[in-house]
Parts: sequence; structure tokens; C-alpha cells
Amino acid sequence: MAASLSCRGVKLSIALARVGTSICVNSGTRTLHVTAICCKNRAARIRVGKGDRPLTYEQALHPHHIGHRKGWLSQHTGNLQGEGGASDRTVEDMFVRRFIFGTFHNCLANEVVIKRRGNMLVVCALMLQKLPPQKLYFLIGYTETLLSHFYKCPVKMEVQTLADKAVYKYL
Amino acid sequence: MQALASTVNRDPTAPHYMFQDDPYLTPRTSAEFFALMFFLSSIFLSSTEIILPLPGVWQNDCCVSVLQCLMPETMELCIEEVSEAALLERIMLRKVKAAVDMYDQLLQAGTTVSPDASNDLLDLICLYGDRDPVQDDKPEAEDVEVQEEGRRRKGRLRRASDLVRIVWRENNNAERIFNLLPERDTRAYSALIRGMVKYGAHVKAFNTYTDMLNNRLTADVHTFNALISAAPEVRERYTEKWDLIVDLLNQMNEQKVKPNLLTFNALLKALRRCGSLARAQSLHTLSEMKAMGIAPSLASFDHVLGIFYKADSRGPYINNLIDQVIHAILNVALTLFSLPVNFFSSAMRICLDTKDIEAAYKVHDLLRVGENWRMLGDSFQQSIYYGRMFNLLCMMEHIDVVLKWYKELIPSLYYPNPQGMRDLLQALDTDNRLDMIPQIWKDIRRMGHDNKSDLVDELLSLMARDKHSPEIQESFAVCALDVKSLYEQGQGARMALEWTATAMTNITSVLLAAQKKQQAWDMLKLFKTKNRVPSEELMEEFLASIKSSNDPQHAMELVQISASFCLPSTPKLAERVLQAFELSEEQKSQLKSASEVKSNTESRT
Repeated sequence: MAASLSCRGVKLSIALARVGTSICVNSGTRTLHVTAICCKNRAARIRVGKGDRPLTYEQALHPHHIGHRKGWLSQHTGNLQGEGGASDRTVEDMFVRRFIFGTFHNCLANEVVIKRRGNMLVVCALMLQKLPPQKLYFLIGYTETLLSHFYKCPVKMEVQTLADKAVYKYL
Repeated sequence: MQALASTVNRDPTAPHYMFQDDPYLTPRTSAEFFALMFFLSSIFLSSTEIILPLPGVWQNDCCVSVLQCLMPETMELCIEEVSEAALLERIMLRKVKAAVDMYDQLLQAGTTVSPDASNDLLDLICLYGDRDPVQDDKPEAEDVEVQEEGRRRKGRLRRASDLVRIVWRENNNAERIFNLLPERDTRAYSALIRGMVKYGAHVKAFNTYTDMLNNRLTADVHTFNALISAAPEVRERYTEKWDLIVDLLNQMNEQKVKPNLLTFNALLKALRRCGSLARAQSLHTLSEMKAMGIAPSLASFDHVLGIFYKADSRGPYINNLIDQVIHAILNVALTLFSLPVNFFSSAMRICLDTKDIEAAYKVHDLLRVGENWRMLGDSFQQSIYYGRMFNLLCMMEHIDVVLKWYKELIPSLYYPNPQGMRDLLQALDTDNRLDMIPQIWKDIRRMGHDNKSDLVDELLSLMARDKHSPEIQESFAVCALDVKSLYEQGQGARMALEWTATAMTNITSVLLAAQKKQQAWDMLKLFKTKNRVPSEELMEEFLASIKSSNDPQHAMELVQISASFCLPSTPKLAERVLQAFELSEEQKSQLKSASEVKSNTESRT
């Protein structure tokens, strides 16, 4: 709307300019230069801040680095030529990620990596050492059993623990 | 190539396959290991029983390809009306009580139940001893007599059904239904006899068998197996037992029933209870087996070994029997058996008793043949097996071999108990590798054996005993300081160890030998506060080290301390100090007074 409203104004001022008259350009028109809006890309990017916010490697690198400096968080064959089911895999992934995020509340050190090998789902997670090993094993076993029965395929978790998050830089 | 080759076999640094491969999540001590194993095996149970039957879980059936075992299991009864199909369903779901009730209802309603169904029911009741199979630890105690030994959850891998012993009651459902059956065939009798034998009613089993013979029925091989295993219980003397068994075998022959592997195993097991005539007969049995073409299993060999190598007998051992047995196992194709068998742990016990390391290696190699590793039993049996093996190794082998096995077995396969660690320390001592002690101490701490005061004492005395090279002394000193910190405060919830005089003495001498004089002085002061008396050799060592550093003040203090402890060697010490050091007048007079006080107290006592 703004573009169309000022169209006339633009044309008028251009016409005046072409004429080359020394008539004063500001003859009651206010021109507004607009172009199509091109917003800054904000996907999966954490902007530079005060310098006290710790970021992991995963968070610090932007999505256009995937394939160059980052790997993939979800590995399946749905995106190969001639293969189908990519959307189904994505939906399952999202469910699994939210499930794990909620089950291991505050314990995840980084994003969960999901690999599919044959009909098996392997969930690789990096945990913080907040829970005692027995509780952690209980949650792992519970997740595996529940997700296996839910997706009707064997689900395995491979867990590694860290004392605290691995900070790559501070932004 | 070598690196690749090393990945083919077992990885000794990896934890058990049930655990996650992470240092924080791997159990460090034997107690943690067993607790975690028991816990892991119960997680699956709790998830499937508590969470999965909840209605909301199965709503989104969103997958295309389906693994049948992960589909929702119907544990609930579907068919409610009184019919034979309902009875069969209950039998299939293993619901003993419900099945019995259904059967009673059917009979009351007047419908005849087919013989197959009633036989199935009888089988079910006899198999489970007239109570529902236990899924968790809540047995129902109303119908059946149950003897419970105290249930312990942590650290025991026995299932609840092992701890609870069922006794065959009088007039229980099995017998009642048996009597109600219109015609009793072989199968019914067989089920009843086997149930009786399984749950301890041996005399009744034999009575039922006579009953069966009177009805002119032939028993089948399973019945005979059960009777043979029950035979030692019903007779007292060895000869009578054997006669009964021979009798049964003859009857088996007459009734043209062919024995199978289970028969021979039952025979050998019964022979273990038959005392002295067991040996000849067992070898006889083995040759019969060969003649009949039945391949023996590890269980048969286990029984044979048990007959020949009784744990407490002092009779002549047949020395190379175990070699022959191993040879036979390697060459004869074995039939694999799924019953828990203690072959490997008893074989290792025999090797330990006869101190035969070669045989032990052969037994260990047997584990790698085919499927034999499955026969090693659960984790508890495994720990017994590896414990005995490690014991034997420490006794018999050179230290390098012991250390190699140590790296392989511990801690991925076996968590040694304090006795095992002491064996290892002795082996180190024998072969003069005491420099490994600090590393072993680290392992002891990790395994949680650092609160066993005798183990710690032995470690300290080994360190303090001889003189070693300076680097070793340094490492010993570090280790000794570590031990000292253990005595001073407990870790977390654990109590600190109690100070003993020997421990303190040893720590002090180790510190002195490593030239850590300040810490040694601190230790000496600690003696006073903890009310323990240092030994005279310790004082001598102190004097020697003070002389080397030429410190008269410390020498004075030493004499005064020794006087305060009323050690008998104080005057001698004082003299030596006088001679060895340049002392001022004041110090000399102090010395004299110190030694006089000593001699005064001596003269008074």
C-alpha cells in the first residue's frame, strides 16, 4: 500500500526531474522510497550480546554452516533421491526431541542426535552429571522401553556425560 | 594391522554391555555393579507393567512396519463366559487360579471338558505348584503354604521365585482335579508325578507311580526322569538308593521307554547323593550314554566332576580326570542346555583345590568354544568363577602374567573382594614388584575397599618394610599421605578408619625414607594427640635423619618427645644426641633433665 501510494509521488518527481526544470522539487509531495522488504535471517542464530552468554559449538555456528562446519542432528535416508518418508521422519524426530528434553529435564548438555540404522532408532545424547547414575539409568531405560513400544522399532540410547556444558564462545 | 587385530576380541576397558560406555555411568565397586544390574533388569519390568497398560499410551499408532513383540500385549482376559475356550485362554495366559475357577464352573454347569483341556490344566497347575507365577515380589499367601526367606532387593540377583519355596500341600487343586478326571491317562499321571517331585512330595510321587502301574499304564520318559531324581530322597542308605534307581531303569526298559539326555543327567545327579559307589557307576553311565548315541551336556560333566571331586573329601584324587573331561568336552559335540549349571565355577574350584594352573587355562579356553560362554551363569556365578581364577593365578603364576590378567579381568569382568586384593599384594611381594603398590592403591580406592583396615595395614607395612630407590620412595610417600588423609576424615558418609600404632609407624617411616621431614614431624605430633606410642625403631630412624640434616633443635625435641612417651631408650637417645651434636649449655642441661626424669620414673617403678 505504501508502495502504491507513493507511486504517483515517485512518478511525479521523476517527471519533474526529467523536465529538468528548476521548479522546486518539493512542491508539496513527500516521496517515500520503498522496496520489497528483505528481513534479516534469524533462523537458529543467537545474536551478539553483552559477552556473558555462553554458547556451545552447535549454538554458535549458524545454519548455513551445516555441511561445512557443522554436522546433521538427524540422520536418515528419507532425503535421498527416490526415497520417501522424509516428513514422517521429521515429525518422529520432533516428538523424540521433545520427549527427551522433557524426560531429562535440565540435564541435556547439547542437542540430541538421532540416527536411524536399519529399523533401529539410536538416540545419542550428551548429558550433564546432575543426576546420580541410578536415576539416569532409570530414565534411559524408561525412555527406551516407552519409545520402542510407541514406534514399534527398537530404540537405543547412547549417552555420554559431561561435568558441565562445553562452551565454545561467549556472546 | 595390530591395532585392527586388537579390536576383534573382547575390549577389557569397556564396561558390561548393559551399561552405557561412560566413566560416570559405569559402576566402580562390586556392590554398585550388582545393584545396577538388578535395577536394570527391573526397569524393563516396571515400564511394561506400570506404564504401558495405561490407556493413553497406545493412542497414536503411527507406524507402518511393526515388530510383533512391541505390540500391546493382552494380559487381560477377554472371554468372560463359562466355556472351554475361556479355560484354554486362561491356561495360555498362565493364570492358574482363574483357570481352576473356570474349570470348576464348567463342571458345575455340567459341561464335559475335553481330556486335552483338562490335561493342559493339570500341567499348568503342576508346573506352577498351584499358585500364579510370580511376576513381582508379591506372592499371594492365602491358598498355598509359602516359606519366605527375607526379601532383599539390593545386591541380589535372585528372582523372587527363588527365595520363596513352595510346598506341595495336601488335597490341593491338582490332586482334586486329578481325582475328578473321568479317565486318567499317562499324561495326567505324568503331570501329577512331575509336579509332586518338583515341589518336594517325593513319597507321594512314588505312591502315585505305583497307582499308575496298578492301572496298567505305561509311564513316559519325563515321568521316569522325575522319579529318578526323586529316588535319593525316599531312601536312606546309599545301596538302597542305587537299588531303587536300578529298579526304575529296569522298569523303563520293560516298558520300552527310551532314555534321553535328561534321564542320564538325572541319573548322574542322583549318583552324587549315593556316596562311594558313585564313582564306578558314573563312568559306567557315561559309557552307556556314548553307546546310546546321546551327546552329554555340560551338566553331565558337572555332575561327574562333582562326584569325583567332593569339596570336603580327602580321598585320592584322580589327577588327570579334569584333563580328560576337558578333552572330552572339546572333542565331543555337546548338546546345549538351558538350565543353570555351575560347571565352570565348580571346575575352577577343582583347579584351585588341586593348584593346577594348566587345567585352569584349559577351562578358561573352553569358554571360547562355541556357545559355552552362555553356561557361565549370571553375574554372581561369574564373579565366583573369576574370583577363583584370579586367586589361582596370584598363587601360581609369575607377576607379569598376573598383571596381564589383572588388566584384562578387572574391572570389566570382575570386581575383586579384599581377599583378592591381598592375594595380589602378596604376589607383588613375592616377585619383588612393590613399585606397583601406588597404582594398586588407586584401584583399591576406586573399588571402595579403602575402608578395610587390615587391607590398608598390609599395604602400609609392605611399603615401609624395605628400602627402595628414591623415585619409588617418592611415590610411596604420596601414597602414604593419601592413606593418612583417609584416616583423618571419612569420605562422605563413610566413617574414618581408626588409627592404629602400626599404621602410624609405617606411614611415618615411609615419609622419613622419602625425606619428607616436615610431614614426618607432623606425624610424630599426631602420635601424642591420638594416644599411640611410637616404636623405638622409629625413634632411631628419626635420629638418623636428623643427624643427616644436622638440626640440634629437632634433636632436642625428639628426646623430649621420647621422654614424654616414657620410652625405655630415652637415656640412650639423649647420650647419642649429646655426642653427635654441638649443643649449648642450656640444651645440655635440658637433655640431662629429660633423661633423669626418665630414669627417675624408671627407678620409681
